[in-house]
Amino acid sequence: MEQKLRQEAKALLEQGKVDWIIGFAPGSLKFTTTPLITQDKDDAEQLVINPFITNNLANFLTEIKGRVGIVAKGCESRSIVSLIQDNKVARENLVILAVPCPGIIDLAKIERLVGKDRDELDDITRDGDRVSVKVDGKKKEFPIAQVLFDHCLACELPTPQEYDIILGEPRLPAPELKVSGQSIASLKEMTPAERWASWENELSRCIRCYACRNVCPACFCQRCFVEETEPQWTLPMPHWQDNLIFQIIRNIHVAGRCTDCGECERVCPVNIPLRSLTREMYDIVGELFQFKSGMDKDALPLMVHYEQEEAEDFFR
Amino acid sequence: MKQESEWEPKLLGFLCRWCSYAGADLAGTSRKKYPANIRIIKVPCSGRVDSLFILKALRLGFDGVLVSGCHPGDCHYQTGNYRARRRIAITKRFLEYLGVEPQRLQASWVSASEGGKFSEVVTDVTQGLKEVGPNQLFERKKNGAKAKAGSKGTA
Repeated sequence: MEQKLRQEAKALLEQGKVDWIIGFAPGSLKFTTTPLITQDKDDAEQLVINPFITNNLANFLTEIKGRVGIVAKGCESRSIVSLIQDNKVARENLVILAVPCPGIIDLAKIERLVGKDRDELDDITRDGDRVSVKVDGKKKEFPIAQVLFDHCLACELPTPQEYDIILGEPRLPAPELKVSGQSIASLKEMTPAERWASWENELSRCIRCYACRNVCPACFCQRCFVEETEPQWTLPMPHWQDNLIFQIIRNIHVAGRCTDCGECERVCPVNIPLRSLTREMYDIVGELFQFKSGMDKDALPLMVHYEQEEAEDFFR
Repeated sequence: MKQESEWEPKLLGFLCRWCSYAGADLAGTSRKKYPANIRIIKVPCSGRVDSLFILKALRLGFDGVLVSGCHPGDCHYQTGNYRARRRIAITKRFLEYLGVEPQRLQASWVSASEGGKFSEVVTDVTQGLKEVGPNQLFERKKNGAKAKAGSKGTA
């Protein structure tokens, strides 16, 4: 798969079919990968596909001019389709190299299971639905559901729908892996006051680094409302009240664009369970408007379209 | 305790310039009574109401927000209220999920000829707010020691 990707990427650049290739290269730390954005055909040799390709590469599309070849897992492809819906990128400027994705391994979960830092692990290999971790010469095995990212467990589209070149066999979502919504369910059991208090508690850790916003392919505003000063909607200081308003409005802004790719939660340096927000918004949009973001490139964006009769029940 | 019995909710109303605002005017000229708890901001269209306005109002200490516009199909700008409906629907559902009482965000369709309906809506919404009590969502509980002492709070 990796070899085919390298050949295809190199050929695309050589034949001038694309100006840029966006993909993954090995990261500087063990087991990590880093986004590779290049115009140089020799860099294609660095491209990798492994169980650690975490980033959502669609995030870079709005910053790059010209034709782009992009490596896309299911979640990237949905973000790309969503960007096409919003006219942020043109389909004809893209060559999508589809990677049927078996799920991405969450190193933090492995660290917790093994009780060691990722630097101390010798090797992590995946074989079907088992993952074995080599540490201190010993081998430990875990079922895949224990080590994948939460959003991968809830994945609805492992193989891109929209692509030009496919690398490997298409995969269907694995139904037995669906365990999403556990934390949402426990939140919903609380009283409203308890829920609000739990969000107060979570968001008081927020340091407003805006990593969640910057990593999000759906957050493409040129100027974010939190940075506006006239009027100043929120204070720039990380008070929990303003942190919470930032997250609420961010989620409302990306409603119908958010594909629940889980990047915001992954990058959060203080581990705020942001997917409990994004997932709920994803479900609300699905329930009220039967809208699934990033599935159909010809569909109108959620907030552009309307039906004559919908969501009327609470209007007086 | 004494203060509590005197407490009156503060309701912020975003009324569309073409229908609901005129409806509120009609309520006035036809001497319909409605609670003085509502403070009205005239907006060009209910579609003008950004979710940020709603959050900002709650953050400033308003006990509730009412968004009101033309009936579906009657929008002066053809589609503004349809867009408002989608936006307010997701905002309302999301806020309820977070733990905001459903009474705090209300929406209605009031046409320019519905002075009576306007007064009913405001009476109803105010009553609902009295039941849920003061908005303490954004009060300082954790951060800083300023907690109760200086609760100047509202606008």
